[in-house]
Amino acid sequence: MKISSMRYLVHQGFKGIWKNRMMSFASFCIMLVSLLMVGISVLLAININRIIGGIEDKSEVVVQIADNSTQQQIDDLKMKIGGLPNVNTIEFYSKEQAWESMVKDMSKEEQDLFQYADDNFLPDTFRVTVHDIQKMTETTTQIDTFENVASTRSPTEFTDTLISIRRILGIISGAIVVALIVVCLIIISNTTRASVFARRKEINIMKYVGAKNSFIRIPFFIEGMVVGLLAAAGALGLTKFAYEGVYSIFNNDFKLWSVLGVSNLYSFEDLFLYVTIAYAAAGALIGAIGTSFSTGKHLNV
Amino acid sequence: MVEFKDVSVTYSSGVDALNKINLKINDGDFAFVVGPSGAGKSTLIKLVLKEIDATSGEVIVNGFNLRKLRRGKVPALRRTIGVVFQDFRLIPTMTVYENVAFVLRVIDAPAKYIRSRVPYVINLVGLSDKSKSYPTELSGGEQQRVALARALVNDPKLIIADEPTGNIDPALSYEIVGLLKGINECGTTILMVTHEHELVRYFGGRIININSGSIAFDEVIGGTNENK
Repeated sequence: MKISSMRYLVHQGFKGIWKNRMMSFASFCIMLVSLLMVGISVLLAININRIIGGIEDKSEVVVQIADNSTQQQIDDLKMKIGGLPNVNTIEFYSKEQAWESMVKDMSKEEQDLFQYADDNFLPDTFRVTVHDIQKMTETTTQIDTFENVASTRSPTEFTDTLISIRRILGIISGAIVVALIVVCLIIISNTTRASVFARRKEINIMKYVGAKNSFIRIPFFIEGMVVGLLAAAGALGLTKFAYEGVYSIFNNDFKLWSVLGVSNLYSFEDLFLYVTIAYAAAGALIGAIGTSFSTGKHLNV
Repeated sequence: MVEFKDVSVTYSSGVDALNKINLKINDGDFAFVVGPSGAGKSTLIKLVLKEIDATSGEVIVNGFNLRKLRRGKVPALRRTIGVVFQDFRLIPTMTVYENVAFVLRVIDAPAKYIRSRVPYVINLVGLSDKSKSYPTELSGGEQQRVALARALVNDPKLIIADEPTGNIDPALSYEIVGLLKGINECGTTILMVTHEHELVRYFGGRIININSGSIAFDEVIGGTNENK
């Protein structure tokens, strides 16, 4: 095909949007809403996953070091624990730090009472975080066997619950996203089919004058792609607006949520590139392929 | 050249539309196809355009054997044929100029050729001042003249006119057939399906009468206009 013909077909694609503006607008709206629904669902799922991940990261094994351990023994123990494959970080927490922290958390009366205590009964500890929370029990058992370990404490029940919640939420959000994608594809395909159906006579005439299928399809393809991209741009703007609104509410007004790891929410800047690419690719592909598929039905003349 | 050899068409409903038809229309001929509704005239046109396939027999159009012609090659066949329909079938979102130029764009004609050929053909059908108008802004007769220009622009070997005067004023009908006759004099084969016996009598020429799927009459008659 000549460049001039290609240019003509691309031009026809753009003209088609304006000439069939009502149907183009309907396709635009349907695609915009569909992209928004799927996009926001995915963002929600990603963030829930991250929040739970954040909570998991804060779960740690507390290793109480046996009393009267020498500095050498403590260093050796730290080396041993640090050498375990699942251990992420290991932090020494002295009995003095523990005492200070405990007193700080007390009420005024309790603090007054405790200032006369002259014996620090708290042990030295290691606080250990792990790479894979599902192996926390196994890691804790391994640490238990080391010398100079008085005891270990790990929130295994809590982490097990978190793992279950994460799995269930993963399945639910995955199912919702897949269902939304299917519903949106059906709606979009119906809209593009209606848009093409309205122009079936035009396609018919093109066939009678000897147009090849590709010649008829290209303007529809361009038209669908441009409408899809415009819908993607609209969806991106609305997503940004909605996301940043919700993000600022959680980040500024609900400081308490940070305890649960909500501070781990992705900012829109973190996701901007991915969201833009996903929206643009989905919009352009669904628009272009949907429209040219719908055209195919009317080409057998 | 259009040739039918023992062509029969039976639709899936069981209706026999054409029954062992033998017909030859030579290059440069002008033939009227007449006959009552349901006689098989439209089936004949559909066969020539390869809209449908013959149940049996062979159809040859402009050197293409339609029995052997694959789907992908149908555009090549149709580019040798200009078609004028009763309902004009112009693209409503395109101007007169664009409707006519479209045919040349389809065959990848050079832009320079399109710019010179299209106004020439539009001028031939007398619509130079309407080239920027949309089909909805034209009268029936004008729309049919655009359809004629579209059929002509590609310089086809054959023009099929399927009841081209069915939707226009009787007075304009003579004008349209007159234009077709003029085109025929330049060497283009014309196959015109019509119901209007007055027109046929007026212009004369080869008359093919189809009745109940068979050719009832295929003769050349003199036109009454020749006597005037």
